[in-house]
Amino acid sequence: MATVSLSKAEVAYIKTSLEATPPLRSDGRGLYDYRTIALETGVAPLANGSAHLKFGQASEQATEGTEVIAAARLEVEDVESGEGVNGGRISCTVSCSPSAYPHSSAAAIEDIQHDYTALLHEVISHPSLRPSNLSILRDLKSWLLNLDILVLSDAGNIYDALFVAAQAALWDTKVPRTRTVEYSAATSKARVALGGSGDMDVDSVEQSGFNVRDVKTAADFELEDYWDEGEPLRGGDAWPVCVTLNLYPPLYYLDATSTEEVATPSRLLVMYSFPADQPPRLQGMRLLGPSEIGLPLIKTLTQTAQTYATDLSCALRAKLKDEDLRRTEKARQRFASVR
Amino acid sequence: MVAFASFGAPHTRITQDRGPAEADVDTDEDMDEGAGTARLAMPGEPITSAQAFMRGHGTYVDREDVVASVAGTVERVNKLITVRPLRARYSPEVGDLVVGRITEVQPKRWKVDAGGRQDAVLMLSSVNLPGGVQRRKLEADELQMRAFFEEGDLLVAEVQAFFSDGAMSLHTRSLRYGKLRNGMLVCVPPALVRRLKSHFIALASGVDLVLGLNGYIWISKHVRDDAQAGEDGFDAAAVYSNKNDDIDDATRAAIARVANLVRVLAAHSVPLSDTVLLEAYEWAVDQDWEVKDLVREDVAEALVAAVASR
Repeated sequence: MATVSLSKAEVAYIKTSLEATPPLRSDGRGLYDYRTIALETGVAPLANGSAHLKFGQASEQATEGTEVIAAARLEVEDVESGEGVNGGRISCTVSCSPSAYPHSSAAAIEDIQHDYTALLHEVISHPSLRPSNLSILRDLKSWLLNLDILVLSDAGNIYDALFVAAQAALWDTKVPRTRTVEYSAATSKARVALGGSGDMDVDSVEQSGFNVRDVKTAADFELEDYWDEGEPLRGGDAWPVCVTLNLYPPLYYLDATSTEEVATPSRLLVMYSFPADQPPRLQGMRLLGPSEIGLPLIKTLTQTAQTYATDLSCALRAKLKDEDLRRTEKARQRFASVR
Repeated sequence: MVAFASFGAPHTRITQDRGPAEADVDTDEDMDEGAGTARLAMPGEPITSAQAFMRGHGTYVDREDVVASVAGTVERVNKLITVRPLRARYSPEVGDLVVGRITEVQPKRWKVDAGGRQDAVLMLSSVNLPGGVQRRKLEADELQMRAFFEEGDLLVAEVQAFFSDGAMSLHTRSLRYGKLRNGMLVCVPPALVRRLKSHFIALASGVDLVLGLNGYIWISKHVRDDAQAGEDGFDAAAVYSNKNDDIDDATRAAIARVANLVRVLAAHSVPLSDTVLLEAYEWAVDQDWEVKDLVREDVAEALVAAVASR
């Protein structure tokens, strides 16, 4: 539950707990421990890719925890009319359920949504991360990937949750296979085959051997009818993870609960991407909160954040592969039971 | 450390065993609760005929039927059908002990969030001011209300009365009530807190609990017996203090342990009472679990099973 304010005694209690040796947080975690993250992909049958994520207790009755649902949906866009761009694009939207922020007014929730959307969209739809298979027909059609995230409840560390959910949904996304369709004048041979009278005197249009212009012939596309839903969205290894460092200079901690967040003066969000065979890439950074932080400290913090981001990314990758396995297993069982 | 998990199957799926005769309740006899089985209704589910019964809370009339508007148990008093929701906000009663948080300071009163549908009201005239119970409220007190309670402060109070709009009026006219410090708050669904003889619980190992009937549970450092309200060591000056006492690491760990136990029990819908909490705490200490491991799903299930078996 998002709380509006804490009493001075509570803030002091949280602060001294963090500063104690060894530090002990309100739920017994250490400074650098994450809560258990429950993740499931393929939760929305109508989406091209989806994920359900919860930081905190995994049981369904649990009232606490940050819960997020992400879904990706592909849409065809016309490039000629200026609506879409060559190579496709990604658009991210975050919406918050009013029950996630019971103490906030509708206008305040809209502001929160806008903040989340702006950050997520800026990082995820960056050209350096654009998947290579979002194009359908060059200069004509492309895919628009709508990534919608719904925040069901917020018990702290929402930014990390948003990025993990986004990555899981994009990992799960399948792009339908397409085939180009050309309009071409039927040759005389084809006409004969179609049943036209072969002995009549017909004007036949012969292709000139001198026509060397490279005429673009593909005019439209059709979906291939194939047994699976399509090929996975490429660039799946490059989607960034976000690590939020909650700063109590000189110490910092990870995965804050909502009460801890209220008690913490500032937060540093660092987004890292780990493309295969390349060094880790810093995709974005935000400093939230009123306090000022010196550049040398930020430098060391981004470096430490990288190690946590590596851990998070590895664990997430392993979990996503597990999920893929689980779902193929489930599909196989269902198939076997039908037979 | 990062650990991923899967969404497990829910522990208790509510299975609604309905015989063919029970499928629709039309007659008086069917509406009687047979053998203590509560009937559950989903929103939009027709319960019974609107001609024979009246609609109560949680229901509405759609053409010929009384239809449930919330998910919950169906209850009947004579011809009145109500559905008591499974998840609801706290509905206060006079005399209830609640834990609340100040949301607003207004002339002569504080607004308090106590988990109800509306904010509760704490009048300046219903608090104990420093300097004795019999002290008169002065104009100076009105001007410095934030010296007593300010926004965000937590307090324990009793429901005194209701206003005409249904908002509850609180009072803290006892030395046991008042501002809270030296601990942390855990929120659980209000239905899980039963009415007990005393809502102030002292566990072994120096932890005190205040079980608010509104589901707000305050877990704090134990107040020594000679410093309790009314004893010689009672520090009247500290009643409105914002400063925590010194809390040692063992007590802090014990507070965190109790908080996790409360969270786990609430997540598994175990009603909280003093005996349940005592048993759960003993079990956790016996089994020697780390505080952070208590929220792990396997440990949590063992805990709930252990508490349920006693």
